[in-house]
Amino acid sequence: MVKKILTLFFSLVIIASMVVLPACSSSTSSTPQVLRVNIAGEPAQIDPNRASWSTERTVIMQVFEGLLGFNQDLSLRAIGATEIPTVANKGISADGKTYTFKLNSKVTWSDGKKVTAKDYAYSIKRLFDPALAAEYTSFYFDIVGGQAYYSATDAAAAAKAQLRDAVGVKAIDDTTLEIKLSAPHPTFLQLMALWPVYPIREDIVTQFGDKWTEPPNYIGNGPFLLKEWMHEDHLTFVKNPDYWGTKPKLDQVVLNMISDANALFAAYQNNEVDIAGVPAGTEKKVMADAVLGKEVLRYAELVTFAFQFNVKVAPFNNVNLRKALNAAIDRDAFINNVRGGVGKAAYSWIPPGMPGYDASLGADYHFNVTKAKEFLTAAGYADGSKVPELRLQYADTGTNPTIAQFVQNQLKVNLGINVSIEPMERKAFTQAVNAEKYTWAWYGWGADYPDPDNWLPQLFGTGAGNNHTAYSNPAFDALCAQASNELDNTKRLKLWADAQKMVVDDAPVLFMQYRERFLLVKPNIQGLKYTGMDGDVAGDMFFPNVSMK
Amino acid sequence: MTKYILHRIFWLIVVLLVVSFITFSLMHLVPGGPWDKEKTLAPQVVEALNKKYGLDKPFFVQFGNYLVNLLHGDLGVSYSRQDRSVTSILLTGLPKTATLGAIAFFLAIIIGIPFGMAAALKQNSAIDYISVLFSTIFASIPGFVLGILLIIIFSVTLHWLPTGGWGGIRQIIMPAFALATLPAAFIARITRASTLEVIRQDYIRTAQAMGLQQRVILVRHILRNSLIPVVTVAGPELAFLISGSFIIENLFSIPGIGRLFVNGVFARDYGLIMGSILFYAFAVASINLVVDLLYAVIDPRIRFD
Repeated sequence: MVKKILTLFFSLVIIASMVVLPACSSSTSSTPQVLRVNIAGEPAQIDPNRASWSTERTVIMQVFEGLLGFNQDLSLRAIGATEIPTVANKGISADGKTYTFKLNSKVTWSDGKKVTAKDYAYSIKRLFDPALAAEYTSFYFDIVGGQAYYSATDAAAAAKAQLRDAVGVKAIDDTTLEIKLSAPHPTFLQLMALWPVYPIREDIVTQFGDKWTEPPNYIGNGPFLLKEWMHEDHLTFVKNPDYWGTKPKLDQVVLNMISDANALFAAYQNNEVDIAGVPAGTEKKVMADAVLGKEVLRYAELVTFAFQFNVKVAPFNNVNLRKALNAAIDRDAFINNVRGGVGKAAYSWIPPGMPGYDASLGADYHFNVTKAKEFLTAAGYADGSKVPELRLQYADTGTNPTIAQFVQNQLKVNLGINVSIEPMERKAFTQAVNAEKYTWAWYGWGADYPDPDNWLPQLFGTGAGNNHTAYSNPAFDALCAQASNELDNTKRLKLWADAQKMVVDDAPVLFMQYRERFLLVKPNIQGLKYTGMDGDVAGDMFFPNVSMK
Repeated sequence: MTKYILHRIFWLIVVLLVVSFITFSLMHLVPGGPWDKEKTLAPQVVEALNKKYGLDKPFFVQFGNYLVNLLHGDLGVSYSRQDRSVTSILLTGLPKTATLGAIAFFLAIIIGIPFGMAAALKQNSAIDYISVLFSTIFASIPGFVLGILLIIIFSVTLHWLPTGGWGGIRQIIMPAFALATLPAAFIARITRASTLEVIRQDYIRTAQAMGLQQRVILVRHILRNSLIPVVTVAGPELAFLISGSFIIENLFSIPGIGRLFVNGVFARDYGLIMGSILFYAFAVASINLVVDLLYAVIDPRIRFD
């Protein structure tokens, strides 16, 4: 019996060794030029016209390029166009309503065909197709006829075709694209650097229908090709051998879909991915680690976190109470204790790295209990206990409960105000906020493009789509209207600065934190160029520069 | 027998219809819809999306359309998976989940039954205590804790196994073990209790008195009779295992169907929710039917007349 058991044991050991050992001997002498990174999960859309989320952008940016793109400092650069249109080079008409792009004739699709103005015209008109129901289309409603076509959900086919033809986008010839706007739009060029207006091949979409985004049908004009998409698991990109520009140094990029933060961290430690985030709360431990501490990459993102007040609802309709709350929170303690020391205290809305960031704003909101009590008195409350209990809602995910508890504690300790915290399921919370059926809620805003135009009117303009504070200030609206049409950039930024000051003074939100990205990056990665607007992966706009040493 | 099966299939269809109506209703009743996003969509966009997916129609029209499509084998499209058909999404994930579940089930059986029987046959011995100890431990540790422990030991520390993904046997070992422990513990305890009951029966004593070999008594009388309760619990366990586990699939990044339902609920992806629930209901009902039929095979006293 003992002999049998021993035989079985050693057989199992031999089998286990055969399974395990190949993994231990996988290192080779030359470094494969393969970058293995991670995205949050299965991308919902990789059709450029339809995509709206950072995960999707990370995929699209490897395979497609637009007329314009961003440099690392987020200034614009010409990619598919020969130059950035200006009034001086006749790319923008004097009235600011007609844009003419000259296309770079070297740019080709991955199947060798030339990228022409017709491909861009098709893509932009397709963006407005009501049957496509693309989510970012509203950004482009200033293009003549765009909104009318998009809104024609019930129109007959012939009427839709007419509306489509009326959209103000025209391929003058193979290398000239003209776009007409219904009103001047100073940030239109930035919108032209975003993914929804990347070129798309009509023949491919027609031939493959909904399957056009599956490899090998996913024909793009960018530095990589989508070789494989194992749904819910990973996407593999290979170098585009016919790429018109500087060829990528990487042979392959793998986007894994590990959605659990602990599993991703373990995968990084097991050398399965080259860049990874860390689980919330482990940042300090990672920084103190002798090995991992040297692999930490930190950089500011264009993201601001805050608590938004529903200013229609008492007592948040009291501006001095809102100011008191702003002054009563120790944001440095928040970042140090709740955010693992990652991030920067926010006292205004527009984050560092954006045009319009002003470090001098919000001086009254630096943690100061005395000042907070003065605001409270001005609000009509002799002390915090007289303030009715404040209700704070948040989506019950991630670190949000800790964030809510921190603020609850701060207001109780510093001002004696009672706060009840109300966790909600994420979608239920979002619906309540969007319908303005909330009182006070945790939220964040990230840049779609680096301009105050994306940060102020949409969030604080009267009745604006993303204004859920119900904040309404006619003077602010007037400044926004003026800035949105001002073509002189210096004057425009001054107008935005004045507008932001109004928001800070009126405090429709409790400014909390500018986000910082905290990552681990393997030391053998070279040439990673990251920006404050990266998608799911650090440096995903510039993977062609990356190499593995 | 045929009549019995047809009768059960009829009720299976009724169950699926009721389940689909309840799910469809709850899905539309819960606050938050698929287009409620942190960055609010423009009203025109929401209108276009509702039109595209037929969500602008009255509730009963939507449900009727769903049933008509269902009869044609069409489970609809997933809003959060690029309009891919739910059927194809489930069919892509199912083989992975089912493979993992089947391996886990096999592990649970080959660990649980011998441990349970050994514990019962050697009651109050060291084997019994060890068996009870391990089954208590495995029944008490949540899958995600055990999963993380396995990852820390075998991936992060020893670097023997990959942390997750799909593609080879090395990626299945840890999730299969993490999935198998709870049902193995459960089966071991049920087997132990059931065997203890059987070995005290008169017919076992009679068999022993007749001088039958212990091995024959064990296989022919004890094992067979003590397995009936085990089959009862093993059926739903199998349904649970092959339907996937959100926690294990999420932790080990397995592209199966276990994650789809939960992700579908989070995203209010109505097609994915309906498809996953109907699949799960179908799996549980079908496996229960098979289990009921198996009773007759194991215990000739059971008839379906």
